[in-house]
Amino acid sequence: MRSFGYFEESKVGRVSDLRLWRRIIVQCWEYRTSIIGGMILSLLITAAAVVQPQLLQRAIDSFMTVEGDAGARLDGVFRISLLYGFAAAVAFAAGFAQVMLLEYIGQSVMQKLRSSLFSHLLSLDLAFFHAHPAGRLVTRLTNDIQNMNEMFTLVMVTIFNDILKLVCILAVLYLTNVRLALLMTVFLPLSLALTLFFSKIAREGFRAIRSQLAVVNAFLQEQISAVSVLQLYARESDSMNKFRELNQVYLERNLHLIRLFGAFMPLTEVLSALATASVLWYGGGEVLRQQLTLGELTAFLAYMRLFFQPMQEIARKYSVVQSALASAERIFELLDISGSIMEPAVPLDGERIKGDIRFEQVSFTYQEEDENGGEREGSQTVLREVDLHIKAGETIAITGPTGAGKTTLVSLLVRFYDPAAGRILLDGHDLREFAPQTLRRKIGLVLQDPLIEPDTVLANIRQDTHLNRSEIYQLLVRTGLDAFIARLPQGLDTRIGEGGLDLSAGEKQLLAFARVLCRDPAVLILDEATSSVDSEAEQMLEQAVRSGFAGRTLLVIAHRLSTVRQADRIAVFSQGRLTELGSHDELLKQQGLYAELVTADRAS
Amino acid sequence: MALFSFFPVYPMDFRKPEPALQQAFHPLSVRVVLRLILPVFRRFRLRLLGGFAAMLASDLLYLTIPRYLKIGVDELAQSSATDRRLLFLSLCILLTAVLTGLLRYFWRTLLIGFSRYLETDLRDQLFAHVLRMDQTFLDRRPPGEIMAHATNDLTAVQMGFGMGLAAAADVAVMSSVAMLFMLHISPPLTLTAALPLPLLAICAWLLSRELHRRFSRVQEQFGLLTEFARNTLISIRLIKSCTREEQQIRDFEQLGKEYVAFNMKTAVMQGLLLPVSMLTGSIGTLLVLYSGGNMVISKVISLGEFVAFITYFAMLAMPLATVGWATGLIRRSLTSLGRIGHLLTAESTLTRSLHKEAQGSAVILQSLPHLSLRKLHFSYPGTVTPALSQIDLEIGPGLLGITGRTGSGKSTLCHLLLRQYPVADGTFLFAGHDVNQLDPALIRRHLGYVGRNTALFSGTVEENISLASPEASQEKIEQAAMMARIHAEIIAMSEGYQTRIGEKGLRLSGGQKQRIALARALLADRPILIIDDALSALDAETGQQVFAALRAQQQGKTLVLISHQVRLFAEADQVLILDQGRIVDHGSHEQLLARNVFYQETARRQQGKEAAGAQFRLL
Repeated sequence: MRSFGYFEESKVGRVSDLRLWRRIIVQCWEYRTSIIGGMILSLLITAAAVVQPQLLQRAIDSFMTVEGDAGARLDGVFRISLLYGFAAAVAFAAGFAQVMLLEYIGQSVMQKLRSSLFSHLLSLDLAFFHAHPAGRLVTRLTNDIQNMNEMFTLVMVTIFNDILKLVCILAVLYLTNVRLALLMTVFLPLSLALTLFFSKIAREGFRAIRSQLAVVNAFLQEQISAVSVLQLYARESDSMNKFRELNQVYLERNLHLIRLFGAFMPLTEVLSALATASVLWYGGGEVLRQQLTLGELTAFLAYMRLFFQPMQEIARKYSVVQSALASAERIFELLDISGSIMEPAVPLDGERIKGDIRFEQVSFTYQEEDENGGEREGSQTVLREVDLHIKAGETIAITGPTGAGKTTLVSLLVRFYDPAAGRILLDGHDLREFAPQTLRRKIGLVLQDPLIEPDTVLANIRQDTHLNRSEIYQLLVRTGLDAFIARLPQGLDTRIGEGGLDLSAGEKQLLAFARVLCRDPAVLILDEATSSVDSEAEQMLEQAVRSGFAGRTLLVIAHRLSTVRQADRIAVFSQGRLTELGSHDELLKQQGLYAELVTADRAS
Repeated sequence: MALFSFFPVYPMDFRKPEPALQQAFHPLSVRVVLRLILPVFRRFRLRLLGGFAAMLASDLLYLTIPRYLKIGVDELAQSSATDRRLLFLSLCILLTAVLTGLLRYFWRTLLIGFSRYLETDLRDQLFAHVLRMDQTFLDRRPPGEIMAHATNDLTAVQMGFGMGLAAAADVAVMSSVAMLFMLHISPPLTLTAALPLPLLAICAWLLSRELHRRFSRVQEQFGLLTEFARNTLISIRLIKSCTREEQQIRDFEQLGKEYVAFNMKTAVMQGLLLPVSMLTGSIGTLLVLYSGGNMVISKVISLGEFVAFITYFAMLAMPLATVGWATGLIRRSLTSLGRIGHLLTAESTLTRSLHKEAQGSAVILQSLPHLSLRKLHFSYPGTVTPALSQIDLEIGPGLLGITGRTGSGKSTLCHLLLRQYPVADGTFLFAGHDVNQLDPALIRRHLGYVGRNTALFSGTVEENISLASPEASQEKIEQAAMMARIHAEIIAMSEGYQTRIGEKGLRLSGGQKQRIALARALLADRPILIIDDALSALDAETGQQVFAALRAQQQGKTLVLISHQVRLFAEADQVLILDQGRIVDHGSHEQLLARNVFYQETARRQQGKEAAGAQFRLL
């Protein structure tokens, strides 16, 4: 599912968090020259903007109001017009260059951050993914990073620009006429207080709106995904009423914010009208008292627009900064999480692994972390003090009721997790002495629903191994899997996955198996196929295991008893404990859980 | 450059999300689209009227402010001004500003408020419509796509009919009035000043169109990036087990680089748009300065008139820069409205042929309806190969088993029985009536169904079980949960039956979800219960127990069971074997065991009786 950006309730960042700012600056440090370039462009744009009314004033004062030779005056106006045109051209060029430069900085920083966050996430262990739903992580990677982009393009340079503008205009005003400038300065804190007050209320309003929108969309998404269930059980009108209510609340919150904006926007304009009125009144008086020229007064009136514009801009960007900071905080939080699976300083080489596995007093508990990182009550021990020795080359079936800990056992073997207590030895070495990647290359795992890349069958089988086409083909022939490939329309070159051929569940299993085969693992783990695999695929898989894995360690996780009968030994798990171990016949004699399961199976 | 701006500052936000157009729709006629929103316009006509009136009044009032300034500057120039006179003029400005502000408050709340009412209405319509749709529609529009309509498209419509419409109207009023004032001062100067304006309008229009086009591409790429990240993270176990991390990181970086490239292309347009409008404004001012200055010097106009003129010109030029933005918003909103229109005008194929009278009509069906399929032929809409062909089947009380290879049409048959797809006249009779003459809702009232992935909803466990029967007593609910073998696990949860599940609640395992769905169906107690491969996620013993409960519940009623576990069919009244959409064999369990090779093979593998020389048997 794609995320629509609104699913998450928004949280507001603290602008005064210096630690956060420092980290953001570190991220941009690489682009410092570009950022400084952006600031210089800002200066240019500001200078061009400030100089334009100045030129107007010069034209009025020096050439329009004075009496004298009309020709010289016209000439003067022409010269000033030229200068004015030059300033406009500079503003245009610098404006364009600035947008491009800022976009470049923003996009580059984002790309870097996005890639490092992504690779950081992939380096984390499964315990992390257990506690963090994928949807939220995707939001971090996409929407939150996008959010921060706004900050780089909009804020970093333009806020600097706005502040600079304010300062420049104030300076020019003071140089023109101190008393009039003082009068203008009065409006500065007034306007500031108004915008700050407003942005505080508006923030609350926005927050209320976003969280309600998240509720509306989550409800909608869930209901739409299950329309057929609603129709089947005739819940349509019920569901519609609930939706109408949620939608109504959302509407009311929006209307509230519109009223708020409706009041604020005109208020700022009234404020600037008040400033204009007082400049006219007081400045006009100054003109009467011969303290000010008429040209200076008109220029003053002109600067007022320039004066109020950056004020409003800063207020608008303030909320952008807040939301960007909230995103930054969430992203950095994620980057700070370190996996609990440690790579050894000097990892062991996995080349000569024979596949002798020994579990020694292994216990494991899933740590369910809640939002605040605390432990939930629900964390339960899934494996308790398991002792099990699997000899190299042995075939062992692992069975037991749902929730017995079968899958967890496998997860520990490939170091998706490390045991909470006890240790697992592979060829006599603790698994923690191997890099997880080495283990996963030497222990092949065939899962129930393999990952299909939208690519050819060949590429899907080859993956990151370096086998060539004919080597792979020979491998397939040797294991009889070539029959499965032969049935595909273009053989090994058939495109599969999204946009290509849709493989059946059985074919996917065969593919996953071929993939593992290429890696030549010392240990093979088969998570039992579901009932959806047809018998033809089963047969092929069986044959392939027999011919491709003779003499290697084989672990089969089995639900159904027919599967386990032929294993050298069967390990029966119940509630996290290894309760029975032995061959089929031995276990039947024990009259334990296994015998019970077999009886239940026979009865049906 | 402009002298002042009392203009409302519209956020120049071109970054609003734009849904990637996934499939090309033929355009709906404007009339069809407008018919969707006309009732809303009619309902709020007074609000709209008041809003536009307030806007007109506020604009007119606002334009008088430069008049006061002009009078002031003129009187100062002629040295006829006094302190009292200046104070009077200043107070006039202030009073006008306050009045304008009030009027502006009204139009903003009235007009922008309207767009929110419109949005709410459309969202209600959308959901109500989807609830009425059949599976053909839902297949073509996955939840993600409908959600894109409900979020991105609705936002676009709201923006267009709120901000876009208001800004466009505002610009139209303001610029025409400003133009009038300018003409009043000096027609030739007005003409000169207006020279670059058409250029600005054209530039803004072209640039924003191109921007929009490029931005759609950015959004599409963003979608790909998101989808890739999501796919990677949800299958992290697989990625790690085949050590694909590096490959995934490389691919992700590549997608990101492309995304950056598209963004840079968009930035070119974006980077031009604002400077271009500022430049044209400056050119206009330049022309006014030059020729206006000449006119002042040659005493054609007064200095005060010159200042006022420049002010009016700013009023004209500033909002023109927003023309591109506003037309972009409106254009986008019409496109989005068109997409929503497509959704809202789609008809359910099930009720299309149904006569109006038949909808919700009071045909009384017998309490235990008999189903007959006669030479039923079906292919999924848009496909050629038939999913089912020549199906003749009578379904009465008792247990009907259906089995067959993957993709043989078992689930398709279920979907048809559930009335999710259209069938030809006379091929499916429900209690003796052609289903095409019956309201699908009426038929569904007799059906219960549990599939392989039945959806649960966010809410308590109890709400989920009692979905179909909200009035059911606690006792009944627990009884159903016991029958589905989930009761013990529910009471072990922190809040028992009141435990919240789904989003923000407890995450359940696949088997637990399955059994809650089974409990739901058991509690619903429908005369016909269809179980599509819903027992496979359970272990043998639990599956056996649940099956027994289902049998007991449907005693004397109909139970349709689809499964690979043929041993469950031992007591079935009839078993069908489907292959490539056809019934290839049917009979009792014993008959099939005796004669059907596929059936024998399946049974043999599952029982695992034979101990052939194989070193190890999978399944």
